[in-house]
Amino acid sequence: MGYLIPIQELLWQMKQHPEQMSAMLVWIIAIATVTLFLLASAGFYYRKYVTLVFKSLRRNLLRTFLTSLAVMVLVFVLTLVVSFLAVLDFVMTEKSKDLKAIVTERWQVPSQMPYAYAPTLEQGAANRSGDIRPEDSMTWSFYGGTIDPEKKTRENMVFAFAMDPRKLRSMMDDLEDLDPAAQQKLVDNKRGILIGREKLQSMNKRVGERIKVTSMNYKDIDLEFDIVGTFPDGRYNNSAVMNRDYLVDALDAYPRTHNGSKHPLADKSLNLVWLRVPDTEAFRHMADQIMGSSLYSSPAVKVETASSGIATWIEPYRDLLWGLKWLLVPTLLITMVLVIANAISISVRERRTEMAVLKVLGFSPGRILALVLGEAVLIGGGSGLVSAGLWYYLIHGVMGGIKFPIAFFPIFDIYPDALWWGLLFGMVAALAGSIIPAWSARTVKVSEVFAKVA
Amino acid sequence: MAAEPIVRVLGVHKFFTRGSEQIDVLNDLHMEVADGEFLALMGPSGSGKTTLLNLIAGLDKPSQGDIWVGGQLISGMTEGQLARWRTRHVGFIFQFYHLLPVLTAYENVELPLLLLPLSTSERRRQVTLALDLVGLSDRLRHRPGQLSGGQQQRVGIARAIVTDPTLIVADEPTGDLDARSAEEILNLMGELRRSMNKTILMVTHDPRAAQRAQRVLHLDKGQLVEGDGHAGKSQEIWTPASARDGSPAMRGAVEGRPS
Repeated sequence: MGYLIPIQELLWQMKQHPEQMSAMLVWIIAIATVTLFLLASAGFYYRKYVTLVFKSLRRNLLRTFLTSLAVMVLVFVLTLVVSFLAVLDFVMTEKSKDLKAIVTERWQVPSQMPYAYAPTLEQGAANRSGDIRPEDSMTWSFYGGTIDPEKKTRENMVFAFAMDPRKLRSMMDDLEDLDPAAQQKLVDNKRGILIGREKLQSMNKRVGERIKVTSMNYKDIDLEFDIVGTFPDGRYNNSAVMNRDYLVDALDAYPRTHNGSKHPLADKSLNLVWLRVPDTEAFRHMADQIMGSSLYSSPAVKVETASSGIATWIEPYRDLLWGLKWLLVPTLLITMVLVIANAISISVRERRTEMAVLKVLGFSPGRILALVLGEAVLIGGGSGLVSAGLWYYLIHGVMGGIKFPIAFFPIFDIYPDALWWGLLFGMVAALAGSIIPAWSARTVKVSEVFAKVA
Repeated sequence: MAAEPIVRVLGVHKFFTRGSEQIDVLNDLHMEVADGEFLALMGPSGSGKTTLLNLIAGLDKPSQGDIWVGGQLISGMTEGQLARWRTRHVGFIFQFYHLLPVLTAYENVELPLLLLPLSTSERRRQVTLALDLVGLSDRLRHRPGQLSGGQQQRVGIARAIVTDPTLIVADEPTGDLDARSAEEILNLMGELRRSMNKTILMVTHDPRAAQRAQRVLHLDKGQLVEGDGHAGKSQEIWTPASARDGSPAMRGAVEGRPS
């Protein structure tokens, strides 16, 4: 459903390529102007009938209200589901430019590569003339633990990405607004840690304090951290970032305090390597370099794009997502169609005489059809727009998105595109639901109606 | 030279089909209505009065025969053409008013004008004039639920005349009114005919209403018996058969007597 988020995609592109912003803005303004002009012209030309349509809805305010409410609830659920699916589509959509490649262990999940792979992988395993080097790179190791080993709770656990802090703003998504001073503190202080706002709050800690983390995955490697900063509000609210050198040094020092034995994860501490490449051609070339290199045979590695990496990660949930997309969404749409069909059918049945009178006055069958469809579209489209707009404001504006604590995923948010989804779903459902009763209204026989009336 | 009649019905047959049964409603009907005439149609229930009215008003088509109104052959028009023709040429007054309850008196009268290429100010002028003519200029913003029966029928009359139609057809316009209101409505219709020289075709069971007409036609089993507008009198019926053999055809069994 990526095609449903063109506005969000456009906004993202403008953020990524501000030099193209002026051209994009011109296009947006041009398209919006033409669309608004067409709508305004249609509204102006047919304004005579708009009053009739509006007033017809006032005929039974309770029925109109209940129908609108039902449509609003259905559109709300639809908006949530479609937003969720659109986010997944968005992150899984293969980009053609400015790709990020992920290098992971080929045959094991979780990926645990030796740290010795890092220096060459960060260069894309380039060692011959003509080999492709990445534009930028980042390594991830995962360090997790608790600040209260006696009583482990979700609130006192912290999960940190151990990485080169100089890569924070250039390689991590949505950290362009990270305070450079906080990043520099992490560079200067190996024991520094950045922790997300919500995690800080749940741990009851503040920037400037010191914490001791008892590790849960790196047993016996318990580290003390200085909280040097926090992230901008967003997807990292429950995450943390530490300096990778701190972890590497701790692993190197482990044998000195453990009878010369290496830590069990000493050769498995590199979890992911990210590489930025300019386009798909460069990606393919570099993937061949890495996977064809003899440096990475034990364990073997694989290279994939970020989107396909995410796709692999959610593979177990494919059936569930299929059900959401092809069962739940159509069911919601059909329900909306039936709700509107019911309301409009009742309305038309009640107004057969009125339809006949309009025909007598000279309203053509086509106009009567259009009036009934207009009422339905007004309820459906209007309710859909109001519902989507309301939930967009509440979830995006007030809540800042529905926070989903999964590392690779952004916060699940309602995109501004929801405004036109809501309108479109409502209008389409209204048209589909009202076409039969509207046709029935169109074919009212005046002589039959008045014969019964008389 | 006699003026061309505004309505000409020539050899009209109308039947309906109910399953396999054919029900004849009108049989070989011929009639003419002069320009500016007030004609009443009477007859027992099922005699075909309303059917004839609907045919002349372009709400239905004859099974056979021609109908000319204002020099136009309406029996050959398509449904869309008839709708457009009705807007400009026919004003319809219903027994039960049939005003749209969600619209004000002004908006109800304005309805037919929405179909014409008029500006808002032109529509306003015509609606105001029509409501003024029927004496309801102080009820523009009232909805039908806030008006009496007589007032609602006045709004109905205003709606019927607002487009300055060629023909006004009224189906039992006083059928749902008390005697006093009915009298007012009939006075109004008479006044409209006189002042605006409107041709009015009215179906009624009410002999008092029929007496206001210049001519009364009686319909029985799909055929016409002509009266002279006064109860108790009838004349020889004109049919093509009688014109051929000179013998009187069926005389109207109902002579100005309401059913």
